[in-house]
Amino acid sequence: MDIKSLIKSTSVEKRVEDAVNRSHSVQNALNAMVSFIDPKDQLEALGQLSKNLPFYGVPVILKDLVNMKDTRTTGSSGILDNYISPYDATITKKLKEAGAIIIGKSSCDTFGMGGTNMTAWTGPVHNPYDLSRMSGGSSGGSAVLVASGVVPMAIGTDTGDSIRKPASFNNIVGLKPTYGRISRYGVIPYASSLDHVGVFTRNVKDAALSLEVLSGRDDKDMTSSFHPVEKYSELLTGSLMGKKIGIIQNVVDSIKNPETLNQFNDLCHKLEEKGADIKLIHLNEDLMHAFLPTYYIIANAEATANHSNLDSLRFGVLKEGKTMDESMILSRTAGFGKLLKKRFVIGSYALFTENQEEVFRKAQKVRRLIVEDIKRVLDDVDVIMAPASSQGAPKFDDAATDLLSSEYLIAENYMALANFSGYPSITVPMGYVEGLPVGVNLTAYAFEETKLLDIAYGIECTTGIVDIIKEVTQ
Amino acid sequence: MKEMDVQGFKALALQCRFELSDEEAQDIKNEFDILISQMRLLDKIDTTGTEPMIYPFETVSHFLREDVVEDVLVISEVLKNAPKEKNGFFVTQKVVI
Repeated sequence: MDIKSLIKSTSVEKRVEDAVNRSHSVQNALNAMVSFIDPKDQLEALGQLSKNLPFYGVPVILKDLVNMKDTRTTGSSGILDNYISPYDATITKKLKEAGAIIIGKSSCDTFGMGGTNMTAWTGPVHNPYDLSRMSGGSSGGSAVLVASGVVPMAIGTDTGDSIRKPASFNNIVGLKPTYGRISRYGVIPYASSLDHVGVFTRNVKDAALSLEVLSGRDDKDMTSSFHPVEKYSELLTGSLMGKKIGIIQNVVDSIKNPETLNQFNDLCHKLEEKGADIKLIHLNEDLMHAFLPTYYIIANAEATANHSNLDSLRFGVLKEGKTMDESMILSRTAGFGKLLKKRFVIGSYALFTENQEEVFRKAQKVRRLIVEDIKRVLDDVDVIMAPASSQGAPKFDDAATDLLSSEYLIAENYMALANFSGYPSITVPMGYVEGLPVGVNLTAYAFEETKLLDIAYGIECTTGIVDIIKEVTQ
Repeated sequence: MKEMDVQGFKALALQCRFELSDEEAQDIKNEFDILISQMRLLDKIDTTGTEPMIYPFETVSHFLREDVVEDVLVISEVLKNAPKEKNGFFVTQKVVI
């Protein structure tokens, strides 16, 4: 059921109560919530608002990077475990103004830095399709809370693929819009030149509606865009006739799982039957092999700088030493997890004076070449498309064996192309591989969300995988 | 690229104002070889004459706003997060001794 139908068919009290109850009932199995927010005050404030608002009385969840006044915002970290937001992020304000009721904060990899959700301070998040498997990350908590029917929409952030990969693993829609489309003011950063705010929903219509509510210029975020916001949800037709869809052949060639390839080929045939013009496109293979290290260098270098403000002197959990410097070191040592420390060390390595030109500047130059290559292929097609993951969600103890293989470097990490370029990108369900959901990912040119969402809607209509709620049993 | 050993990683961490345990430093060292191999993939790409890309778009989206005070955070609310505060200020150990 989409959000518009939900509003028509239930009372505010019932849908909020159902969501709150469900968020508690799945917590033991999924471990997806960091904080529960009592909706009482928001429900009272709703009385002053128009009942025609797009999210009127609709329960939603924020990733634990998003500030909401008087609530905990920990970034799923130890160092901010006691942090209470003194203000609303712009997206929090927009959601409240649209009538949404925020019922909690969801778990993520610490500060969004990870792809497994296993680095969250509160422990790993479990996949509702198989509790022995990971949710994907970094926005894993939001993904599983939408997939398991707690809320119809949850906020995520995406720096490499942190919305679009968990969406694939959880049979839902994950939208990362154009860089600057949604304000990031009040959202704890990871890497400022790659970070995007986006949404998880169970259907494309809700993703479009959410984008309408969240988008727009915000003077508090200097990177936010003046580009006009369209009525995305009213422009969906689902028609694929004449739509040019470019298949990223490098990604397909890198996938070894035959079932994933069968699912994908089957989808392509069905799209052709509906009138889509399927073309094979090739990105530069050397550049594709460089996606992950380029991402790693830029993201971790930016993160190292962004999080230098976590000193526990003005906010955060303080471990007091004899001097201010010692207090800072003790607090950061105790409050950062193992993976976070590793990423900061790598970021710092890239920024070494000796390495700056050879590592950091080189990565920024390669980024430009990557984006030029993406532009080249998008000149001939409406969207580019490939499976969002080579298989279903891995088990917690699964680890990629060959970290220099094309399957790892390309098939599992290619979606960062939309972060390098800032282009809008969406994952929608594609089918099931070995009983687990796998999604398909689409990327369009900057600010072409209307076209992207319409083709995604056409795919959703083709697969029929829509509004799926995975009941959680332990 | 600069070669690194366990002690080098510990020193780097300290520059970032945190400490690595022996185990954490060794883990990073163990992973570093593969990371360097991944970074070396960039060497295959000719970037001669290419400018670094800092942000996705180069269209200017920032400007100097009018110097008008707006959306002021209430000091007492901000200081609720401070481990120690006094008279509207954060309190730390002495910096100048």
